[in-house]
Amino acid sequence: MASFRAFWNSPVGPKTTHFWGPVANWGFVAAGLADINKPPELISGNMTGAMCIYSALFMRFAWMVQPRNYLLLACHVSNETVQLYQLSRWAKGQGKQTEHPMAIKYNA
Amino acid sequence: MAASKLQSFWNHPAGPKTIFFWAPTVKWGISIANVVDFSEPAERISYPQQVALMCTGLIYSRFSMVITPKNWNLFGNSIFMAGTGLYQVTRKIRHDYMAELTEAKEQSQKSLRSQDLH
Repeated sequence: MASFRAFWNSPVGPKTTHFWGPVANWGFVAAGLADINKPPELISGNMTGAMCIYSALFMRFAWMVQPRNYLLLACHVSNETVQLYQLSRWAKGQGKQTEHPMAIKYNA
Repeated sequence: MAASKLQSFWNHPAGPKTIFFWAPTVKWGISIANVVDFSEPAERISYPQQVALMCTGLIYSRFSMVITPKNWNLFGNSIFMAGTGLYQVTRKIRHDYMAELTEAKEQSQKSLRSQDLH
């Protein structure tokens, strides 16, 4: 109970924006996971690529910042993983646009 | 005069030789990617992703003003990110829900016109 109180009243706790900033970054991970089974035609290569670069740099940022921010580091490692997976799905789908099973074929 | 200013920027502890400069700079890439995606068809927009962009943008706008020192670059970036997210969400809502309304309107107008012919 005492440790929860310490967390609740901490200067970087949930009553402050210092907490919710890094929490907001987990939203990217959650969104990526929600879209994990989306058909590759619907993935945005631009956004996913930008996310990969962004999280790669912020992993280093979280490590080098004083004090070291392990929560932010964990967030960006997770996001990098999810976004790289989505990027690979997008890339694999790039050459296969015309072969989607739902595509209507007008031959014969 | 200009040379020493450039030097002090170049050698700054949060300057272009450090991650503290490049990481926030690259964060602009997310908003730019979203703006490029404005011209993509609305079917390809992802609700979870755009909502995450809006929330991150809004939270970091406040964050940037509360930290010491205030980070105006992050503030501008976050506001812009939230704005692009909001625009994409309204585009998709319009496509998903309002498109049915305009279609229904066109159908009813068509049937009215065909009635006039009698």
